[in-house]
Amino acid sequence: MKISKRAQHDARQLFRSCQVNGLLDENRVRQAVTLVLAQKPRRYLEILSRLLRLVKLDLERRTARVESAAILPGDLQSDVANRIKKIYGDRVDIAFGQNPALIGGLRVKVGSDVYDGSVRAKLERLAESF
Amino acid sequence: MSNLLQEIEAQISGAKAATAKQNVGVVREIGDGVAKIEGLTDAMLNEMLDFGNGITGLALNLEETEVGAIILGDYTSIKEGDEVRTTGKLLQVPVGKGLLGRVVNALGQPLDGKGPIKSDIAYPVEKIAPGIIKRKSVSQPVQTGIMAIDAMIPIGRGQRELIIGDRSTGKTTIGIDTIINNARLNLAAQQAGDTNYRALYCIYVAIGQKQSNVARVIGVLEEAGAMPYTIVVVAAASDSATNQYLAPFAGAAMGEWFMDNGMDALIIYDDLSKHAVAYRQVSLVLKRPSGREAYPGDVFYLHSRLLERSARVAEKYGNGSVTALPIIETQAGDVSAYIPTNVISITDGQIYLETDLFYQGIRPAISVGLSVSRVGSAAQVKAMKQVAGRIKGDLAQFRELAAFAQFGSDLDAKTQAQLERGKRIVELFNQIQYNPLPVEVQVVVLWAGQNGFVDDVPVAKTKDFQLKLTDFMTTRKSELLARIVKDKELKDATVTDLKAAVTEFKQMYR
Repeated sequence: MKISKRAQHDARQLFRSCQVNGLLDENRVRQAVTLVLAQKPRRYLEILSRLLRLVKLDLERRTARVESAAILPGDLQSDVANRIKKIYGDRVDIAFGQNPALIGGLRVKVGSDVYDGSVRAKLERLAESF
Repeated sequence: MSNLLQEIEAQISGAKAATAKQNVGVVREIGDGVAKIEGLTDAMLNEMLDFGNGITGLALNLEETEVGAIILGDYTSIKEGDEVRTTGKLLQVPVGKGLLGRVVNALGQPLDGKGPIKSDIAYPVEKIAPGIIKRKSVSQPVQTGIMAIDAMIPIGRGQRELIIGDRSTGKTTIGIDTIINNARLNLAAQQAGDTNYRALYCIYVAIGQKQSNVARVIGVLEEAGAMPYTIVVVAAASDSATNQYLAPFAGAAMGEWFMDNGMDALIIYDDLSKHAVAYRQVSLVLKRPSGREAYPGDVFYLHSRLLERSARVAEKYGNGSVTALPIIETQAGDVSAYIPTNVISITDGQIYLETDLFYQGIRPAISVGLSVSRVGSAAQVKAMKQVAGRIKGDLAQFRELAAFAQFGSDLDAKTQAQLERGKRIVELFNQIQYNPLPVEVQVVVLWAGQNGFVDDVPVAKTKDFQLKLTDFMTTRKSELLARIVKDKELKDATVTDLKAAVTEFKQMYR
């Protein structure tokens, strides 16, 4: 969907109004979406799809996705979570997942930062060095 | 001993391969050689991006939630959802003497099938031009070998002289002649073991040209033996707009290496009109706001930052130089169009070529009235200054008189003499392409013209007179020519000998 500049601007304003102390308030977002759908202002669909994207990006920034070839044991999960919170603060949500394609090791993604210590990444680096 | 073991163990444990942080993004949109990437929050402007499979991109637009990047190479294999990484590196091209004699693309990769480029050094494509402290005013000449230019519109090393004109008026030929002439001078100095001569290395950047034209230019350079001193950078019409946009910057980087290492380089940008068109295409696809004629607002800055990189640096900073000969193609002689006026205002003068003159048989078709060199006269050889000091004014006066004389035939003797001499001087300036003349020959021919030795030669035979005089001087009076080269000026004794030599030739001439 092509989103006009005006709709982008409105979505950005809406997104800012949903923040409390620099953090996105989920309740406010829900309320804002309900209100927009009820009032149906001009280009409301464009505004909402842009808002959806902004919220998605914000969530990605605040979510650490930890992938491993096999499910991590509980103590290792808490160790990894502590280390991530040390760097990105307590407000980061941590999601653990399994990805057998990694072969071994861990891959952590927070926003656009990636820490790839997986065997697959090491093999790829080795292949590139040839 | 136990301490030593513990130390080694500690060092080994400390040396465990740390996982480096990478900044990644995801391709959201791809098309026309431009990708929109979500993420990449740490991307820098003009940073190289790694798309995987050896494909790189250049970050040009940093927006709130995404990055706009141009793809260097084949973009057809990139898909939506592909991962992109920042590299922390700016776009670089190989530089150095290993590139001489080679034909490369905008990324410095060979196109001539002569194997890999032998170069260990790379320079960033975008670089800030030398500042005012580093610079020095122009003082050494660039010998183009074209009499009309060397006499009336002299170019100095470090100058930016625009070559402007309609299609098929001989713009590229001026550049090629200059390359050939300088290759000859370089070779002569090398063979004579002249260590004081500062070789001028040439870089020819073809932007948006037809492949056949580029092949022809390379053929001419090879035939003239100029390739060993020349680098050819090609972003042909079939290359992507992004490569056409980058090619002149890559050429400038290659030239800067010579400057930084105390050498002289000459870059010919052929041509910047097509460069502006390529940049317009890239900008529009990146959805940057467009301005006049749909060019982006920074099209002036695009050319000014490119041409500002041409400079003559002071002895303290290496004493090197980069001279630029940008070429602009006008439409129906309109120099007041957007891109021509921009580049005219940036450069230190222009050589204006006119279609009318070209078809009248005046070649190079230089319009003396509209052509100017703002700084080059300081670099002109003194001998040339002595013979050509007044010639530009005289020729402009002749053109006016010639136009005025069309209205009536009753002219006084002085005016008629002026007209007759003017016709012969114009004939003397005619020169066939790819045949540059050495400066000493130019001095002798102009001296003969200025001192009335050609006045009694019929206009139709002026060229024949010039050719035979040149032959006579180079075969029988080579010592006199060598003296002009050595002294770099016409001393009284030289003038006397010159007079005797030309008089001797005239007695023999039929």
